[in-house]
Amino acid sequence: MVDVSRVQKELTECNRDSAISGVSIALHDGGSSISHLTGTIAGPQDTPYEGGTFRIDIRLPGGYPFEPPKMQFITKVWHPNISSQNGAICLDILKDQWSPALTLKTALLSLQALLSTPAPDDPQDAVVAQQYLRDKSTFLNTARYWTEAFAKSDSTGMEEKVQKLVEMGFPEDMVRSALLSVNGDENMALEKLCSS
Amino acid sequence: MGRGDAEEVSPPVSSPELEQDDGDDDCYLSDQEDDALEESVLQVLEDGHLEDCHWSSSSVITKEYLLGAQKEDLRKMIELLGLKEHHARTLLIHYRWDVERIFELLDQKGRDRLFSEAGIPLRSTSNAGLPSVTEVTCNVCYDDVPISAVSEMDCGHNYCNQCWTEYFIVKINEGQSRRVKCMAPKCNAICDEALVRKLVSAKCPDIAERFERFLLESYIEDNDTVKWCPSTPHCGNAIRVKGDIHCEVECTCGRQFCFNCSSEAHSPCSCVMWELWIKKCRDESETVNWITVNTKPCPKCHKPVEKNGGCNLVACICGQAFCWLCGGATGRDHTWSSISGHSCGRFTEDQSTKTEQARRDLYRYMHYHNRYKAHTDSLKQEAKLKRDIQWKISISENKDSKIKDYSWVINGLNRLFRSRRVLSYSYPFAFYMFSDEIFKDEMTPQERELKQNLFEDQQQQLEFNVERLSGFLEKDFQNFADDEVMDTMKHVINLSNVVDRLCKQMYQCIENDLLYPLRTPHNIAPYKSKGLDRASELHICLDSAEQSSQSMKYSHDEHKTQPGLHSNESGSSLLGKRPILPLHGSSSDNSGRPSHKRERKSGGALFDLNVPAELADKS
Repeated sequence: MVDVSRVQKELTECNRDSAISGVSIALHDGGSSISHLTGTIAGPQDTPYEGGTFRIDIRLPGGYPFEPPKMQFITKVWHPNISSQNGAICLDILKDQWSPALTLKTALLSLQALLSTPAPDDPQDAVVAQQYLRDKSTFLNTARYWTEAFAKSDSTGMEEKVQKLVEMGFPEDMVRSALLSVNGDENMALEKLCSS
Repeated sequence: MGRGDAEEVSPPVSSPELEQDDGDDDCYLSDQEDDALEESVLQVLEDGHLEDCHWSSSSVITKEYLLGAQKEDLRKMIELLGLKEHHARTLLIHYRWDVERIFELLDQKGRDRLFSEAGIPLRSTSNAGLPSVTEVTCNVCYDDVPISAVSEMDCGHNYCNQCWTEYFIVKINEGQSRRVKCMAPKCNAICDEALVRKLVSAKCPDIAERFERFLLESYIEDNDTVKWCPSTPHCGNAIRVKGDIHCEVECTCGRQFCFNCSSEAHSPCSCVMWELWIKKCRDESETVNWITVNTKPCPKCHKPVEKNGGCNLVACICGQAFCWLCGGATGRDHTWSSISGHSCGRFTEDQSTKTEQARRDLYRYMHYHNRYKAHTDSLKQEAKLKRDIQWKISISENKDSKIKDYSWVINGLNRLFRSRRVLSYSYPFAFYMFSDEIFKDEMTPQERELKQNLFEDQQQQLEFNVERLSGFLEKDFQNFADDEVMDTMKHVINLSNVVDRLCKQMYQCIENDLLYPLRTPHNIAPYKSKGLDRASELHICLDSAEQSSQSMKYSHDEHKTQPGLHSNESGSSLLGKRPILPLHGSSSDNSGRPSHKRERKSGGALFDLNVPAELADKS
C-alpha cells in the first residue's frame, strides 16, 4: 500500500516553497485519493517553455516509494523526450534509476531540468527529436508556440483567432489543427483551411 | 549374456571357409570385394591423425549440491581477493561466475574499478557515520526511528529496517534478487545478502526463501558453463561443463542435449545451422514455396490449381476456366496460341528467373530433407529393432552351440544408432555449408564445389557402410549354423570399426577443412565414438556440499531455542562458520558414495574457509 504518511509529508514539504522552486503538487482534480495527484511545474527561464505552466498527471503505485511514481504530461509539450501525442516521459529516474530516497518533488524538479536540457539522442518522440537535431529554429518556434497555445491559461490571443475562423464557418477542430501547423499565423491558417 | 567368454571368441579373420559362402547376401557387393574394401578403408583411416583436440568434462549438479558446486569459486574469491562471502558472490554474479575473467580484469582495470563496477563498496565505512544520538530520521519514510531500528549498508547509507524490508520485498518480487541495490540515489552498491535475509525472513519467510533460491540459482542462470537440463518435466538438475562448451552431454535423467544451445544433440550440424534447419522444417515454408511456384489460384473458388499439361487455358475443378499466364478468368473458346476475347502480357524475364530460382531452392531443400528424414525415420525404429535383436539373441543363447557371447550384436547395434544420428545431422549441415544462406562470400564457387565433393564423398562412404552394417544386423542369425554366425560377427565387428572411423574422419573433415578456414568462427561438438558424455556426479563437492547442508541443519537445531534468529544463522553458515560435523557417522554410510571419496575428508574436521583450499582438503 502507498505510504500515506510519507506522501502527506512530501506534499507539505513540496508546497511550502513552491513559489521559489516552481513546482507544486495537489490531489488530482481536488479528488480524495492520495495515490492520484497532479503536479505543476513552471517552464524554466531562457527556454521556449518559459512562462508556461505544465500540468503532470502523477499516479502512485502500491509499492510507492519503493516503486517509481508514474508521471505523464497533461499539458501538451513539444519536447524530444516527451511524447507530443500522449505526454509520456522518457526519464531514467522514473524508471530503473528511481530510488526510494527520491521524492515527487525531486522528480518534478528533474522534469523541469529536462525541459531546459533535452536529450535528443534518447528520444521519446522521434519526430520532435529529428526536428531538434536538424532544424533547431523550427523546433524552438514550435515549442514556443505550443507553450503559448497550451501551457498558458491566458492564451486569449489564440482563442480569439480560433473564434474568428470558426465564425467564418470552419469546424473548430480543423481550425485548431490548422493554426497549430502554421504556428498560429491567422492568415496562413485561413489559406490552409481554404485549400483543404 | 555370456560376457565372460568375450576373449575366447575372437574373429578368425583369415579363415578360408568363411570367405566362401555368402550367397544370401546378393544385395551387397561380393564378399571378397567387401573385405577388400573394409580393409582398405581401415588402412587409410589407420594412417590419419586422430587426435582429440576438444576437451570437456561434464558433471551433474542436483538441487542438493547446488551450494557445494559454487563453493570452490566463492572460496577462490574469498581467499585470493580477501573478500567477504557476500561480496565474493556479488562479484561472481556480476562477472557471470567467470573466475578467469575476473582475474584478467583485475589486471586490466585494477581492484577499485573491478569492485565498484560490480557494486562492491570500496571500503566499508565504520559506524562513525551513525552519531551517538538515540533517534535518527529515516530518509525514506521521514519518520524518526530509534538507532536500534536502523541498518547501515556497507556503502555507509542507512535507513530504517522497515523501509529496507519493504524495499527488499519489492525488489525480490520484481525478480531482482541478484542485484538489490542500495536505496540511496545513484548508489551502485549491492545490498548485503545477510541483511536482506534477516530482515525479509522476519516479515515474509516465503519471500526470503525465494531470495535464497534466486541467489543460489545464479550459479546456473548467470553462468556460461552451467545450464539447466532441458528435460520436460524438468528433472531438477543442471549440468556443468569444464573445457570446451561446444559439446553434447547426457544428464543422469537420460536426457541428451547440445550443451551450447540446449536443444537436442545435433552434431555435426552447428547450433546456428540446426536452429535454422528446425525452423525451416517447422515453417513448411517450402510447401508454401512449391504452391506459389507450381500453382495459381482459381479466380472463382481460389483453390490452388496445378497445370499438368496442355495449353494455357486451364480449367479448375469448379468449372471455371482461366488463363494460366495471367490468372484471369476467361471463356472456354480457345486455340493453342490464344484464348478468344482474352489478351494479356507475356511472362516477363524477371518473373521466370525468380520462379526458376524458387524451384531450384525447393529441389535442393527436398534433396537434403529427404535424406535427413530417411535416417531419422530409421532411428524411430530403434526400439523395435532392439527388441527384435534381443529376441534373436535369447534364442541363439539357448541354442546348442559353442558360441555363447552375442555382445557383438549389441555393440554393432549401438554403433549403427550412433552413426545413423551422425548421418542424419550431416544432411542439414551440408544444406547450409554449401549454400549462401550462412556462408555468403566465404568461398568461391570453385572452392565450394571442391569442398562439397570432398565432403559428399565421405558422407557417401559412411552411408554405404552404415547400410551394410544395418543389413548384417538384420540377418536372422538365430537360424544360422555356427560358421555363418561367425561370419556375420566378423562383418559386424569390422563394419562397426569402419563406420566409427568414417564418422571420426567426417568430423575431422568438417572441423579442419570446412569450418576452420571460415572467417567467422563456427563450432560443432566433437565426435565421441562411445556416444555422448554422460555427465558425472559431482564428486569434488559431494563431501563439502553434504557438510554444508548438514551444517545448515545443525545450525537450525542449535538455534531452535532462539526463534527468529535461525534463518539468519543458517544464511551466514552458507559458507562461513560451521559447527563440528559428525560426518562419518551412520548417516553418511548409507549414502552409497564410493568410499575413497569419503576418505579424503575422513577427519570430519572443521572446514575453515580462511585456510587455502589444498590445506583444507588435507586436514
